[in-house]
Amino acid sequence: MVSLGRLLPRGYLFTVLGIAVGVGGLVALGAMAERITRFIDGGDRFVLGQISVAGEGMGMGTGFTAGGLLRASRIEAIRRVAGVATVQPQVMLPLNPTTSQFLTLTQELILGLDPAVPMSNRQYRELPVRSGRFLRAGDRGVAVLGSDFAASRRLGTGSRLDLGRKSFEVVGVLDKTLTAPDRFAIVPLDDARELWLRRDPLLVQVFAGGAGTMSRADLNTGAAVSWIDGADPDAVARRIQAEVPGVNVTIPGELSRLLRESTAFFSALLFGIGALGLVIGGLSLSNTVSAAVFERIRDFGIKRALGATDLQLLREILGEALGVSVTGGVVGIGLAAAIGALVNLRVLRQGQQLFLFSPRLLAFALVFSVVLGALAATYATVRIVRLSPAEAIRRGA
Amino acid sequence: MLIRAVGVSKTYRGPDGQPVSALEGVDVEVKPGEFVAVAGPSGCGKSTLLNLLGLLEPPDRGEIWFDDVCVTRLSRRAQCPVRGRSIGYVFQSFLLISGLTALDNVLLAARYVGRPRREALPVAEALMERLGVAHRRAHYPAQLSGGEQQRVAYCRAVLNAPPLVLADEPTGNLDEGHAAVILAELRELCRARGAAVILVTHRADAAALADRALRLRAGRLDTRGGAESP
Repeated sequence: MVSLGRLLPRGYLFTVLGIAVGVGGLVALGAMAERITRFIDGGDRFVLGQISVAGEGMGMGTGFTAGGLLRASRIEAIRRVAGVATVQPQVMLPLNPTTSQFLTLTQELILGLDPAVPMSNRQYRELPVRSGRFLRAGDRGVAVLGSDFAASRRLGTGSRLDLGRKSFEVVGVLDKTLTAPDRFAIVPLDDARELWLRRDPLLVQVFAGGAGTMSRADLNTGAAVSWIDGADPDAVARRIQAEVPGVNVTIPGELSRLLRESTAFFSALLFGIGALGLVIGGLSLSNTVSAAVFERIRDFGIKRALGATDLQLLREILGEALGVSVTGGVVGIGLAAAIGALVNLRVLRQGQQLFLFSPRLLAFALVFSVVLGALAATYATVRIVRLSPAEAIRRGA
Repeated sequence: MLIRAVGVSKTYRGPDGQPVSALEGVDVEVKPGEFVAVAGPSGCGKSTLLNLLGLLEPPDRGEIWFDDVCVTRLSRRAQCPVRGRSIGYVFQSFLLISGLTALDNVLLAARYVGRPRREALPVAEALMERLGVAHRRAHYPAQLSGGEQQRVAYCRAVLNAPPLVLADEPTGNLDEGHAAVILAELRELCRARGAAVILVTHRADAAALADRALRLRAGRLDTRGGAESP
């Protein structure tokens, strides 16, 4: 096995640092792009995995998180629509009611689910639990937290969490999904209904006055609907809209398109960040490697005077370039990861994550640095071996 | 004849882009075991002649013959083993590689001719011992004095026992004591090993050690007053 000391000749420290800075920049920008991509893709995956239904007059961005009332009779009507597999009543409340409710993908939410009903989202049949367990049928007073929600409050399994003056025991923490569920506190449906009742003065008055024909089972902000295998989800959604009065149905395909359109700016930004990272990292790396080779032009002149062939020199230089590129790449990745971890640690307090160092990004950065380093070294070598040994020695003097 | 230059000429571009003739139609012959000094004023083409003889750069006109082979007609690739096996170089500025130790600098001469390190190592160590630099084998050039660097460079030049050694002002940066060591080694190389040495020098005492001296003036051999005796 070739030792790093042999691959990395003496005097290459600044070359390695130069490459590390370039690769570090590329990885940091790439990690930000990865984070945004995963967020957008996650949201898209989520909306394509279910048909979301809310009370009439309320859109997904508003009514689905408090305000929209989807009564039990409507849920029953939805269950009877052809093509519908399961309907999961939900209560979705913003954790902080004063926060704008438009940004449902970024704000912290309380999600009430009935664990006895299977998850209706085809992309998330089970939410991945990192520690503890998910909700079980019959649970009360317990919560399962999204990873960012838990991390920003330093909560873990066994901790206690106060939501709307009601105390919950944390029984599980989800794995990172890098999309909406990371900021969820998931509680049993009946607990969520109780929290809603406590918060909404209108509902309190309605129920204090006897509630008429309304029962607690009517307290749903929405429902997640899944379709039977082979059914067209958009067609099923349109059928629900046509057959069940008083509901607002989101068509998965349309919502996905709307999401894509609304995130077009981010997509362009991603492209810009990626291109910028490639240009900055690539220029820095290739310039550093070729400068390091040209700097040693005198040494190559001496070696040619000692009988080195073009091929021997190329092999030697490529070996060195590989050593410095891999070392610089690894140091750069380490540098970016360290800075990213520090920044992530800081923004985690606000429930955010800025960088995502995915394996594909790290592998790309390493391959990119090796390939570009080799190309730059080859270019410099081809330029040098064209010179006579005497000329190379003169130029390097 | 070991090496023969026939009508070699070399022209460089000056700083103003105008051609500057460094050598013009020079003929030189050197026999095995011969010690030849090349003398002349600065800029007369001494180093250029050495570079052409050592295949460090091609002549614009003329031919270089090594034994019975016209080496200037060889391909770039075919010239490499001639440089590596048949010619040793000692330069005024030592030209050691700063990132390698003294021992590795010496062994570099073996690397490019395909000579195994384990075979060259005892030879290199014996040479360094004889030249008094064995205790500095693990030092880098920057940690060596000028005299030590030149002795290491000399060891590298003769490691492969080349039949021809070219020395370009090898004592130019040395004090009297170190210069005498290098000159004595070059002289001994001819006597004991039968190698030919071509020495470029300004020093009269160095030229006096040679079997004969060639005098260059403005890129041409100066034959006035008999160029063949030191």
